[in-house]
Amino acid sequence: MKLHRIKALCYRHLYPLRRDFDLLSDMIYWPLIDTLLWGVTGQWLSSASEDPGSAQLLIVSILLGLIFWNVIWRSQAEVSRNLMDEIWNNNLINLFSTPLRVDEWVTSVLLLSVIKTAITMILLVPAIFFLYTVNVFELGWWIPVFFLSTTMTGWWLGFISAGIVLRYGPKAQTVIWTLPGILLPFSAIYFPLSQLPAVIQPISRMIPTTYIFESMRALIQGGEVDPLYLTVSFALNIAFLSFAFWFFVKSFRYSTKLGLGRFN
Amino acid sequence: MKNVLEVTGLTKIYPAEKKGGTPFTAVNDISFALEEGKILGLLGPNGAGKSTTISMLLGNLSATEGSISYFGQDFYTNKSEVLNHVTFASTYIKMPWRLTVMENLRIYAYLYGVSENTFKTRARKFLSFFGVWNQRDKTMNNLSAGQITRIMLAKAFIPHPKVVLLDEPTASLDPDIAHQVRDFVRMQQAEYNTSILYTSHNMDEVADLCERVLFLKEGTIVANDTPETLARSLNTARMTLRIEDGLKRVQRFCKEQALEVVVTHRDAHIQIDEQKVADFLMLLASEGITYSQISIDAPTLEDYFLSLSEIKK
Repeated sequence: MKLHRIKALCYRHLYPLRRDFDLLSDMIYWPLIDTLLWGVTGQWLSSASEDPGSAQLLIVSILLGLIFWNVIWRSQAEVSRNLMDEIWNNNLINLFSTPLRVDEWVTSVLLLSVIKTAITMILLVPAIFFLYTVNVFELGWWIPVFFLSTTMTGWWLGFISAGIVLRYGPKAQTVIWTLPGILLPFSAIYFPLSQLPAVIQPISRMIPTTYIFESMRALIQGGEVDPLYLTVSFALNIAFLSFAFWFFVKSFRYSTKLGLGRFN
Repeated sequence: MKNVLEVTGLTKIYPAEKKGGTPFTAVNDISFALEEGKILGLLGPNGAGKSTTISMLLGNLSATEGSISYFGQDFYTNKSEVLNHVTFASTYIKMPWRLTVMENLRIYAYLYGVSENTFKTRARKFLSFFGVWNQRDKTMNNLSAGQITRIMLAKAFIPHPKVVLLDEPTASLDPDIAHQVRDFVRMQQAEYNTSILYTSHNMDEVADLCERVLFLKEGTIVANDTPETLARSLNTARMTLRIEDGLKRVQRFCKEQALEVVVTHRDAHIQIDEQKVADFLMLLASEGITYSQISIDAPTLEDYFLSLSEIKK
């Protein structure tokens, strides 16, 4: 792996941020709109509650859920949308006619996902604090743990959707936006797992993010994080991520059998 | 002279699109070599397999059979290492349109390990040569097709590669700019001993630039020689006579001697064996047929291309 090639690809996707409102709106505008919308909704719902303590917990729970959902979304989007951006720009052949290797491409998109997610968080976390006095840092040292787990979820979702596009062509690109959506209702992001219908709960237990959001809620309610939950979450993430990498590389190889020219 | 690229038995068979369908052979058992510092033309009608061959030579299409070796190294096992010295430019492939010219060129320079200072020097040199230096801070979507083509060429040559694959680099250019591109390619070849595989539909350009020419037809190589040898192999000259008197008799003579003739106004365009031109003109004179103008064109590479493509001029 060569650092100069990873650096080149990072420049490739950071340069457009200087002038592309589409990218900036994905990174900044929509997360802030979501924050405003969910924060106000949470406040309104909690105003109906007779217990101010549990009402505040509801708002905190929703807003922290929103933050970590954004981590998943941004990490996923960075992997799959970077591939789509090359396809939309008719640049895939250019890139893979250079010494660039697939593992270098993968490393650069992982790096970019961390950079861009961090940019979103730098704006979102203070916004939530100033608007709703919810301090994310109260989660303490668990923040990097939750961040890592949700980022890993975003990555495997991204590599699976990118792999599907490589295998089935640009006609399958809708999977980039729909695949994370499938996870949304099963991940217990804004509500506890127990609120889900009993038949759905076994599916939720197979998704790593469920354990993260359950742990986060336990923490803000004054409880403790169950180490077993974290272990299961990371074990599932590692398993899914390994599968996603394997599927992506296999799809890339399949794509070169038909030729990357089919994406032009 | 050593070979920088050797292709042996290269074959590409695309799988059938539907179950029970027939697989499609795009390239069938082709072998050739590119010598160091030479320009090799890759020609053929549409669908002959040129793009498929170039895609395989760049590794973005896998071969069904055969081997590719650059600088004596197997391409498939040393792809990244080999591609450090091989670049590519095509009229039909673009660069990210939201990035400026310099941003795009910098990214590609970095991919080949070119340092920032070297990149700046070379980018300025090449963009100035092509007259697009003042466009350097414009995003790609604000450039004309011709300007993009020249920037793609700069992209290909900035790393000072040993081998460059050029896919119709002059297709979208005005004649004067196309001339400039040919000069540039020749200059790079002379200065850095760069080896070039060149595809074009402009036969004069190929005859002018290339030391050797490969003709592909239906996925196989049907000719591999110098442009002059290929053109001379036809033995058929194109003679045009402006007939003053006896146009119908000219047509009759041609028919009797099984010569192809096309008449436009008073001009008779005749395809004739070069050895028989003198006899034919004497015959016309003996019959009292008079003509005011005559031109005889030796066979060209384009004639050869057309004869292979089974297209008549």
